[in-house]
Amino acid sequence: MIKRIPWWLGGILMALLLLFTFSVFGANRPIGASTYVPYFAGIIFDLDPQKYTYLKEIHNPGSWEGVLLLGVLVGAFLNAIFVTKTFGWTIVPAAWKKYKNDSAVSRLVWSFVAGFLLIIGARLAGGCTSGHFLSGMTQTAFSSMIFGAVVMGALIVTGKLFYKERK
Amino acid sequence: MMYDKDTGMIDRILSMFTTVQNEGHGSVLLVFLIGIIFGSIIQYTRVHKFEKIAGFSMLKDTVVPKMLFLAIGLASIGLYFMIEAGWASYHLKPITLGGLIIGGTLFGIAMAIFGKCPGTGPVSVAEGRIDIMVGSIGGIFGGLVFTVYYDQFKTIMGPNLGKLSLTQYFEGHESLTVLIFGLVLIAISIAIPLIEETDDKDPGYQE
Repeated sequence: MIKRIPWWLGGILMALLLLFTFSVFGANRPIGASTYVPYFAGIIFDLDPQKYTYLKEIHNPGSWEGVLLLGVLVGAFLNAIFVTKTFGWTIVPAAWKKYKNDSAVSRLVWSFVAGFLLIIGARLAGGCTSGHFLSGMTQTAFSSMIFGAVVMGALIVTGKLFYKERK
Repeated sequence: MMYDKDTGMIDRILSMFTTVQNEGHGSVLLVFLIGIIFGSIIQYTRVHKFEKIAGFSMLKDTVVPKMLFLAIGLASIGLYFMIEAGWASYHLKPITLGGLIIGGTLFGIAMAIFGKCPGTGPVSVAEGRIDIMVGSIGGIFGGLVFTVYYDQFKTIMGPNLGKLSLTQYFEGHESLTVLIFGLVLIAISIAIPLIEETDDKDPGYQE
Protein backbone atom coordinates (compact mmCIF):
# COMPACT_ATOMS: atom_id res chain seq x y z
CA MET A 1 0.00 0.00 0.00
CA ILE A 2 1.08 3.58 -0.64
CA LYS A 3 2.60 5.06 2.49
CA ARG A 4 3.57 8.42 1.15
CA ILE A 5 2.63 10.78 -1.70
CA PRO A 6 4.88 13.51 -3.18
CA TRP A 7 4.35 17.18 -2.31
CA TRP A 8 2.95 18.07 -5.76
CA LEU A 9 0.27 15.42 -5.56
CA GLY A 10 -0.56 16.62 -2.04
CA GLY A 11 -0.79 20.19 -3.33
CA ILE A 12 -3.15 19.20 -6.14
CA LEU A 13 -5.35 17.11 -3.83
CA MET A 14 -5.43 19.90 -1.22
CA ALA A 15 -6.50 22.40 -3.92
CA LEU A 16 -9.29 20.05 -5.02
CA LEU A 17 -10.45 19.55 -1.43
CA LEU A 18 -10.46 23.32 -0.82
CA LEU A 19 -12.50 23.91 -3.97
CA PHE A 20 -14.96 21.16 -3.10
CA THR A 21 -15.38 22.52 0.44
CA PHE A 22 -15.87 26.09 -0.85
CA SER A 23 -18.43 24.97 -3.44
CA VAL A 24 -22.18 24.82 -2.95
CA PHE A 25 -21.89 21.09 -3.73
CA GLY A 26 -19.65 20.72 -0.70
CA ALA A 27 -19.90 22.87 2.43
CA ASN A 28 -20.14 26.38 0.90
CA ARG A 29 -17.51 27.62 3.34
CA PRO A 30 -13.72 27.66 3.79
CA ILE A 31 -11.74 25.07 5.74
CA GLY A 32 -10.55 26.33 9.12
CA ALA A 33 -8.75 24.48 11.87
CA SER A 34 -8.18 26.66 14.93
CA THR A 35 -11.62 27.83 16.09
CA TYR A 36 -12.37 24.33 17.37
CA VAL A 37 -9.78 24.80 20.14
CA PRO A 38 -11.53 27.58 22.14
CA TYR A 39 -14.83 25.87 21.25
CA PHE A 40 -13.66 22.68 22.99
CA ALA A 41 -12.07 24.72 25.79
CA GLY A 42 -15.54 26.15 26.44
CA ILE A 43 -17.00 22.64 26.67
CA ILE A 44 -14.17 21.15 28.77
CA PHE A 45 -14.10 24.02 31.28
CA ASP A 46 -17.88 24.27 31.23
CA LEU A 47 -17.92 27.98 30.37
CA ASP A 48 -21.39 29.44 30.02
CA PRO A 49 -21.87 30.50 26.37
CA GLN A 50 -24.40 33.12 27.51
CA LYS A 51 -21.71 34.81 29.57
CA TYR A 52 -18.74 34.69 27.18
CA THR A 53 -19.24 36.68 23.98
CA TYR A 54 -16.46 34.83 22.22
CA LEU A 55 -18.17 31.46 22.68
CA LYS A 56 -21.34 32.93 21.24
CA GLU A 57 -19.44 34.25 18.21
CA ILE A 58 -17.71 30.94 17.47
CA HIS A 59 -20.65 28.64 18.20
CA ASN A 60 -21.33 27.76 14.55
CA PRO A 61 -17.79 27.70 13.10
CA GLY A 62 -16.56 25.96 16.27
CA SER A 63 -19.13 23.19 15.84
CA TRP A 64 -18.27 22.76 12.15
CA GLU A 65 -14.57 22.54 12.87
CA GLY A 66 -15.21 20.24 15.82
CA VAL A 67 -16.77 17.66 13.48
CA LEU A 68 -13.94 18.22 10.96
CA LEU A 69 -11.41 17.59 13.73
CA LEU A 70 -13.10 14.30 14.66
CA GLY A 71 -12.72 13.24 11.02
CA VAL A 72 -9.03 14.18 11.06
CA LEU A 73 -8.40 12.26 14.30
CA VAL A 74 -10.31 9.12 13.31
CA GLY A 75 -8.93 9.09 9.75
CA ALA A 76 -5.33 9.72 10.80
CA PHE A 77 -5.52 7.08 13.55
CA LEU A 78 -6.86 4.41 11.16
CA ASN A 79 -4.29 5.37 8.51
CA ALA A 80 -1.50 5.24 11.08
CA ILE A 81 -2.50 1.76 12.23
CA PHE A 82 -3.43 0.11 8.94
CA VAL A 83 -1.80 2.00 6.08
CA THR A 84 1.16 4.25 6.86
CA LYS A 85 2.12 2.19 9.98
CA THR A 86 3.30 5.40 11.61
CA PHE A 87 1.65 4.91 15.00
CA GLY A 88 4.08 5.00 17.92
CA TRP A 89 4.25 6.56 21.39
CA THR A 90 7.13 9.00 21.16
CA ILE A 91 8.07 12.19 22.97
CA VAL A 92 11.15 13.74 21.38
CA PRO A 93 11.14 14.15 17.56
CA ALA A 94 14.27 13.11 15.61
CA ALA A 95 15.09 16.65 14.47
CA TRP A 96 14.63 18.03 18.03
CA LYS A 97 17.40 15.61 19.10
CA LYS A 98 19.52 16.70 16.17
CA TYR A 99 19.08 20.48 16.56
CA LYS A 100 18.02 21.07 20.20
CA ASN A 101 18.52 18.46 22.93
CA ASP A 102 17.69 14.90 24.04
CA SER A 103 15.57 15.97 27.00
CA ALA A 104 11.95 14.80 27.11
CA VAL A 105 11.18 17.38 29.81
CA SER A 106 12.53 20.20 27.64
CA ARG A 107 10.49 19.02 24.65
CA LEU A 108 7.29 18.69 26.70
CA VAL A 109 7.62 22.08 28.41
CA TRP A 110 8.34 23.83 25.12
CA SER A 111 5.45 21.98 23.44
CA PHE A 112 3.03 23.13 26.13
CA VAL A 113 4.19 26.75 25.91
CA ALA A 114 4.20 26.72 22.09
CA GLY A 115 0.77 25.06 21.94
CA PHE A 116 -0.57 27.80 24.21
CA LEU A 117 0.96 30.62 22.13
CA LEU A 118 -0.08 28.98 18.86
CA ILE A 119 -3.76 29.21 19.76
CA ILE A 120 -3.54 32.72 21.26
CA GLY A 121 -1.79 33.80 18.03
CA ALA A 122 -4.28 32.10 15.73
CA ARG A 123 -7.28 33.55 17.54
CA LEU A 124 -5.79 37.06 17.62
CA ALA A 125 -5.20 36.85 13.86
CA GLY A 126 -8.57 35.21 13.22
CA GLY A 127 -7.15 32.14 11.51
CA CYS A 128 -4.29 29.70 11.11
CA THR A 129 -2.46 27.83 8.37
CA SER A 130 -5.81 26.45 7.16
CA GLY A 131 -8.15 29.41 7.57
CA HIS A 132 -5.73 32.15 6.56
CA PHE A 133 -2.97 30.55 4.52
CA LEU A 134 -4.91 27.95 2.54
CA SER A 135 -8.47 29.28 2.49
CA GLY A 136 -7.75 33.01 2.79
CA MET A 137 -5.00 33.29 0.21
CA THR A 138 -7.08 31.16 -2.15
CA GLN A 139 -9.56 34.08 -2.08
CA THR A 140 -6.61 36.50 -2.60
CA ALA A 141 -7.51 38.15 0.74
CA PHE A 142 -5.13 40.88 1.92
CA SER A 143 -5.65 39.88 5.56
CA SER A 144 -4.33 36.40 4.80
CA MET A 145 -1.35 37.69 2.82
CA ILE A 146 -0.37 39.91 5.77
CA PHE A 147 -0.77 36.94 8.13
CA GLY A 148 1.23 34.68 5.79
CA ALA A 149 4.11 37.14 5.49
CA VAL A 150 4.30 37.80 9.26
CA VAL A 151 4.12 34.08 10.10
CA MET A 152 6.83 33.12 7.60
CA GLY A 153 9.09 35.90 8.92
CA ALA A 154 8.59 34.97 12.59
CA LEU A 155 8.94 31.24 11.77
CA ILE A 156 12.27 31.62 10.01
CA VAL A 157 13.75 34.06 12.56
CA THR A 158 12.72 31.68 15.38
CA GLY A 159 14.15 28.69 13.50
CA LYS A 160 17.46 30.53 13.17
CA LEU A 161 17.62 31.56 16.86
CA PHE A 162 16.05 28.57 18.56
CA TYR A 163 17.83 25.65 16.87
CA LYS A 164 21.42 24.89 16.02
CA GLU A 165 23.19 21.81 14.74
CA ARG A 166 24.60 19.75 17.63
CA LYS A 167 28.04 18.27 17.27
CA MET B 1 -29.13 26.99 18.21
CA MET B 2 -27.78 28.05 21.58
CA TYR B 3 -27.93 25.72 24.55
CA ASP B 4 -29.53 26.37 27.94
CA LYS B 5 -27.55 27.37 30.98
CA ASP B 6 -27.51 24.05 32.79
CA THR B 7 -26.63 21.67 29.98
CA GLY B 8 -23.82 19.21 30.66
CA MET B 9 -20.83 18.25 28.60
CA ILE B 10 -22.60 15.41 26.78
CA ASP B 11 -25.44 17.71 25.74
CA ARG B 12 -23.00 20.28 24.48
CA ILE B 13 -21.16 17.70 22.38
CA LEU B 14 -24.47 16.48 20.97
CA SER B 15 -25.37 20.10 20.26
CA MET B 16 -22.20 20.33 18.14
CA PHE B 17 -23.62 17.70 15.78
CA THR B 18 -27.12 19.19 15.61
CA THR B 19 -25.67 22.66 14.99
CA VAL B 20 -23.68 21.35 12.02
CA GLN B 21 -26.59 19.28 10.72
CA ASN B 22 -28.91 22.34 10.81
CA GLU B 23 -26.43 24.99 9.71
CA GLY B 24 -26.46 24.19 6.00
CA HIS B 25 -22.68 23.87 5.53
CA GLY B 26 -22.80 20.19 4.71
CA SER B 27 -24.17 17.27 6.71
CA VAL B 28 -22.29 15.92 9.73
CA LEU B 29 -21.19 12.97 7.60
CA LEU B 30 -19.87 15.21 4.82
CA VAL B 31 -17.93 17.44 7.21
CA PHE B 32 -16.52 14.34 8.91
CA LEU B 33 -15.44 13.01 5.49
CA ILE B 34 -13.82 16.34 4.60
CA GLY B 35 -11.91 15.98 7.88
CA ILE B 36 -10.75 12.46 6.99
CA ILE B 37 -9.53 13.57 3.54
CA PHE B 38 -7.92 16.76 4.91
CA GLY B 39 -6.06 14.74 7.57
CA SER B 40 -5.09 12.03 5.07
CA ILE B 41 -3.56 14.51 2.60
CA ILE B 42 -1.50 15.96 5.46
CA GLN B 43 -0.54 12.52 6.70
CA TYR B 44 0.42 11.00 3.33
CA THR B 45 2.60 13.98 2.45
CA ARG B 46 4.11 13.89 5.99
CA VAL B 47 3.83 17.69 6.26
CA HIS B 48 2.68 17.33 9.87
CA LYS B 49 6.07 15.92 10.87
CA PHE B 50 8.24 18.02 13.18
CA GLU B 51 11.05 17.55 10.65
CA LYS B 52 8.96 19.24 7.93
CA ILE B 53 7.67 22.29 9.85
CA ALA B 54 10.55 22.96 12.28
CA GLY B 55 12.79 21.90 9.38
CA PHE B 56 11.26 24.65 7.25
CA SER B 57 11.90 27.20 10.03
CA MET B 58 15.59 26.24 9.78
CA LEU B 59 15.36 26.25 5.97
CA LYS B 60 16.39 22.61 5.93
CA ASP B 61 13.10 21.34 4.51
CA THR B 62 10.94 22.92 1.82
CA VAL B 63 8.08 20.44 1.39
CA VAL B 64 5.66 22.62 3.42
CA PRO B 65 6.05 25.87 1.40
CA LYS B 66 6.17 23.98 -1.91
CA MET B 67 2.92 22.19 -1.18
CA LEU B 68 1.20 25.26 0.36
CA PHE B 69 2.02 27.55 -2.56
CA LEU B 70 1.01 24.95 -5.14
CA ALA B 71 -2.32 24.32 -3.39
CA ILE B 72 -3.09 28.05 -3.06
CA GLY B 73 -2.00 28.84 -6.63
CA LEU B 74 -4.23 26.16 -8.14
CA ALA B 75 -7.17 26.74 -5.81
CA SER B 76 -7.17 30.54 -6.22
CA ILE B 77 -7.64 30.25 -9.99
CA GLY B 78 -10.26 27.51 -9.58
CA LEU B 79 -12.17 29.36 -6.88
CA TYR B 80 -12.38 32.58 -8.87
CA PHE B 81 -14.04 30.85 -11.80
CA MET B 82 -16.29 28.85 -9.48
CA ILE B 83 -17.48 32.09 -7.87
CA GLU B 84 -18.08 33.57 -11.34
CA ALA B 85 -20.18 30.52 -12.19
CA GLY B 86 -22.20 30.96 -8.98
CA TRP B 87 -20.88 27.72 -7.44
CA ALA B 88 -19.15 29.38 -4.47
CA SER B 89 -18.84 32.71 -2.71
CA TYR B 90 -16.24 34.80 -0.89
CA HIS B 91 -15.72 34.36 2.84
CA LEU B 92 -13.06 37.01 3.43
CA LYS B 93 -11.49 37.64 6.81
CA PRO B 94 -11.21 41.32 7.80
CA ILE B 95 -7.86 43.14 7.92
CA THR B 96 -7.56 43.50 11.71
CA LEU B 97 -4.05 44.88 11.56
CA GLY B 98 -3.01 44.53 15.22
CA GLY B 99 -4.39 41.02 15.50
CA LEU B 100 -2.76 39.90 12.26
CA ILE B 101 0.69 41.26 13.18
CA ILE B 102 0.78 40.32 16.89
CA GLY B 103 -1.11 37.06 16.30
CA GLY B 104 0.96 36.16 13.24
CA THR B 105 4.21 36.77 15.14
CA LEU B 106 3.14 34.58 18.08
CA PHE B 107 1.85 31.96 15.66
CA GLY B 108 5.12 31.88 13.67
CA ILE B 109 7.28 31.61 16.81
CA ALA B 110 5.08 28.87 18.24
CA MET B 111 4.93 26.97 14.94
CA ALA B 112 8.75 26.85 14.70
CA ILE B 113 9.13 25.54 18.28
CA PHE B 114 6.12 23.19 18.29
CA GLY B 115 6.71 21.99 14.73
CA LYS B 116 2.92 21.88 14.22
CA CYS B 117 -0.01 24.12 13.46
CA PRO B 118 -3.62 23.61 14.59
CA GLY B 119 -4.47 21.58 11.47
CA THR B 120 -1.43 19.29 11.48
CA GLY B 121 -1.22 18.77 15.27
CA PRO B 122 -4.26 16.45 15.45
CA VAL B 123 -2.68 14.11 12.85
CA SER B 124 0.36 13.76 15.12
CA VAL B 125 -1.86 13.22 18.15
CA ALA B 126 -3.59 10.39 16.26
CA GLU B 127 -0.16 8.88 15.55
CA GLY B 128 0.65 8.74 19.26
CA ARG B 129 3.00 11.71 19.64
CA ILE B 130 3.00 12.48 23.36
CA ASP B 131 4.72 15.88 23.00
CA ILE B 132 1.92 17.03 20.70
CA MET B 133 -0.74 15.78 23.11
CA VAL B 134 0.88 17.91 25.82
CA GLY B 135 1.07 20.84 23.39
CA SER B 136 -2.63 20.38 22.59
CA ILE B 137 -3.42 20.73 26.29
CA GLY B 138 -1.41 23.97 26.18
CA GLY B 139 -3.56 24.95 23.20
CA ILE B 140 -6.78 24.23 25.11
CA PHE B 141 -5.52 26.55 27.87
CA GLY B 142 -4.71 29.14 25.19
CA GLY B 143 -8.31 28.84 23.97
CA LEU B 144 -9.55 29.20 27.55
CA VAL B 145 -7.47 32.33 28.24
CA PHE B 146 -8.51 33.88 24.93
CA THR B 147 -12.19 33.21 25.62
CA VAL B 148 -12.11 34.55 29.18
CA TYR B 149 -10.06 37.68 28.34
CA TYR B 150 -11.62 38.26 24.90
CA ASP B 151 -12.55 41.88 25.71
CA GLN B 152 -8.92 42.66 26.65
CA PHE B 153 -7.50 40.86 23.60
CA LYS B 154 -9.91 42.76 21.37
CA THR B 155 -8.26 46.07 22.32
CA ILE B 156 -5.00 45.04 20.56
CA MET B 157 -6.66 43.46 17.51
CA GLY B 158 -7.57 46.67 15.70
CA PRO B 159 -7.64 48.77 13.61
CA ASN B 160 -10.09 46.91 11.39
CA LEU B 161 -9.46 48.02 7.81
CA GLY B 162 -12.32 45.97 6.46
CA LYS B 163 -12.44 43.06 4.05
CA LEU B 164 -10.47 43.41 0.85
CA SER B 165 -9.02 41.01 -1.69
CA LEU B 166 -6.55 41.46 -4.51
CA THR B 167 -9.25 40.78 -7.09
CA GLN B 168 -11.50 43.46 -5.56
CA TYR B 169 -8.60 45.91 -5.51
CA PHE B 170 -7.99 45.45 -9.24
CA GLU B 171 -11.65 45.79 -10.10
CA GLY B 172 -12.33 45.38 -13.79
CA HIS B 173 -9.28 43.12 -14.25
CA GLU B 174 -10.32 40.35 -11.87
CA SER B 175 -9.65 37.35 -14.08
CA LEU B 176 -6.24 38.65 -15.18
CA THR B 177 -5.34 39.45 -11.55
CA VAL B 178 -6.25 36.02 -10.27
CA LEU B 179 -4.49 34.28 -13.16
CA ILE B 180 -1.26 36.20 -12.47
CA PHE B 181 -1.60 35.62 -8.70
CA GLY B 182 -2.19 31.89 -9.16
CA LEU B 183 0.51 31.36 -11.77
CA VAL B 184 3.11 33.32 -9.75
CA LEU B 185 2.40 31.14 -6.69
CA ILE B 186 2.63 27.95 -8.78
CA ALA B 187 5.93 29.21 -10.26
CA ILE B 188 7.27 29.98 -6.74
CA SER B 189 6.23 26.52 -5.60
CA ILE B 190 8.13 24.88 -8.47
CA ALA B 191 11.13 27.23 -8.17
CA ILE B 192 11.75 26.55 -4.45
CA PRO B 193 14.43 23.82 -4.44
CA LEU B 194 13.26 20.56 -2.86
CA ILE B 195 15.25 19.85 0.29
CA GLU B 196 14.22 17.42 2.98
CA GLU B 197 14.97 16.85 6.65
CA THR B 198 14.08 13.24 7.37
CA ASP B 199 13.21 11.10 10.36
CA ASP B 200 14.85 7.71 9.77
CA LYS B 201 12.39 5.95 12.07
CA ASP B 202 9.38 7.15 10.08
CA PRO B 203 8.15 4.37 7.77
CA GLY B 204 6.93 7.02 5.36
CA TYR B 205 10.53 7.76 4.45
CA GLN B 206 11.52 4.16 3.84
CA GLU B 207 10.76 3.56 0.20
